Amino acid sequence: MTKPPSSLLKIEGLEQSFGGVMALAGISFQTPESLIYAIIGPNGAGKTTLFNVLCGFYQPAAGSLRLNGQELRGLPTHRIAALGIARTFQNLQLFFNMTVLENVMVGGHLRAKTGLLTAALRLPRVRREEQQLREWAKEALELCELADRAEQSASALPYGLMKRVEIARALAAKPRLLLLDEPAAGLNDTETIALRDLIQRIRATGITVLLVEHHMPLVMSVSDRLLVLDYGSVLAEGTPADIQADPRVIAAYLGGAVQYAV
Amino acid sequence: MRLVGFYLFAAVAVLLPILFPDNYFVTVVGASAGLHVILAVGLNLLMGYAGQISLGHAAFFGMGAYTSAILTTRFAWPGLLAMAAGLLVAGVMAWLFARPILRLRGHYLAMATLGFGIIVHVIMVQAMHWTGGPDGLAGIPPLNLLGWTVEGDQQWYGVIIAAMLLTIWLSLNIVDSRMGRALRAVRGSEFAAQMMGIDTARAKTQVFVVSALFAAFAGSLFAHQQAFISPDSFNLMISVELVTMVVLGGMASTFGAACGAIALTLLHQGLVVFEDYEMLIHGGLLMVVMIFLPQGLFVGLSQGVRRVMNNSSIVLRYREIVSTKLSSSSR
Repeated sequence: MTKPPSSLLKIEGLEQSFGGVMALAGISFQTPESLIYAIIGPNGAGKTTLFNVLCGFYQPAAGSLRLNGQELRGLPTHRIAALGIARTFQNLQLFFNMTVLENVMVGGHLRAKTGLLTAALRLPRVRREEQQLREWAKEALELCELADRAEQSASALPYGLMKRVEIARALAAKPRLLLLDEPAAGLNDTETIALRDLIQRIRATGITVLLVEHHMPLVMSVSDRLLVLDYGSVLAEGTPADIQADPRVIAAYLGGAVQYAV
Repeated sequence: MRLVGFYLFAAVAVLLPILFPDNYFVTVVGASAGLHVILAVGLNLLMGYAGQISLGHAAFFGMGAYTSAILTTRFAWPGLLAMAAGLLVAGVMAWLFARPILRLRGHYLAMATLGFGIIVHVIMVQAMHWTGGPDGLAGIPPLNLLGWTVEGDQQWYGVIIAAMLLTIWLSLNIVDSRMGRALRAVRGSEFAAQMMGIDTARAKTQVFVVSALFAAFAGSLFAHQQAFISPDSFNLMISVELVTMVVLGGMASTFGAACGAIALTLLHQGLVVFEDYEMLIHGGLLMVVMIFLPQGLFVGLSQGVRRVMNNSSIVLRYREIVSTKLSSSSR
């Protein structure tokens, strides 16, 4: 590489505690642009907490979060989304009262402007915008190979496809940073391979992906860099090869027995 | 295509008085049903789509009615101007009330809106100097629409049906838009809605105001049509009945709410004969509907019809013929 890639997300000294338990004990890292950056660690290491702080669901006790230099701390969730962060959820948060297409059209909310009054009067502008939202949603569905499911009710889909609709919905927002919270959980092997391909296609569109995942073969094959968390602290950071060779990671996470064998 | 249901609804509403001229049931009960439809369609935006309950909606109905009544009788305001003032009062009250109250969920929200409804009712009864107290306000002048004075049951039927169709059209437009989907998203998952960039507090406030405006609109029309109003028309039972209309017809469906409103209006008329047993039959019917059609009359029945259409042998045979014809013609 001729010049170092610029960092999109920069987190410094992030702290978050729940009633005396330090969920995040001063975490710092930065993610370069247009990469797949995975966050791994044992259960309770603080991965989902990190996501929730990033999205403004929790307010951190200390530290800073910057997206492209813009401080996120203290902003409400919908403002953070407007700055270019989208996410999926560990436990599905689909809109089960809507069709697949409508779910994904909600994803495009920020790219349109129609307010309640103009919508009520159905001005020509509204009609054009609806058409545009539908096209954006269809593009996202296409990328996620869900185009043939557009008109189905989101509640009628099998679990694996529901998870994919969440990704499509997030993509319809055209985010700069996409947070995927355990996208492979509950998927079978075929679906996991399809997911890997999908994540790679997403990176190819220039979106930075932040991936929290337990499925190690997926993480190691898809990520450009990894961050290992343990008890709310950063244990290691580096390329998949670095991480797999790191004795601290092996001891804490990948299997304690290995370090004795080496 | 989007408005097929709307045109059907409009056609029925317009044809009824033509087919049955000078019929008391059509004009008077129809007008009453029309007002209920406006109220239910507005409340459905809040309850059915955004998933927020209001047990005090009669308060906004009353605000529209009393503002119109007071301004036209005491200050001789023109009807339309008074109506606009009524909309303003209800809209501003809803907006002030929405921010703190819509932070609440479920039972708490129900309790808070219930309290609001009771307070407004108490004001109607106690502020005698303005509202006439329990005796109400009489002598409300007929509505004057740019020189045309609305008089008689037939004309009122026309005006109320036009107003009803307007609100149905507005509601359909809202639902099938970016903001409508945002409302449904709030009901589906507030977390995810925020993550999609929806300011959920703002969306809830807006829909609360819109449903209050619908109610106040109905209230103003009601005051002029009746020429007399009293607090009895805006008490807790009315609020509960409005909720019943939405739930009975089917939540999250504009026509569901409209059908619920019409069904309940007709039911009341039909049960007048039974006097003492009215509430008993009323309650019994509601229980039966909720047990057998929990999604509501309209939504439940239309789903049933669709299921029959999809499965019955005649329909299947017909589809087979059509599809073979289509495939052979395309070759």
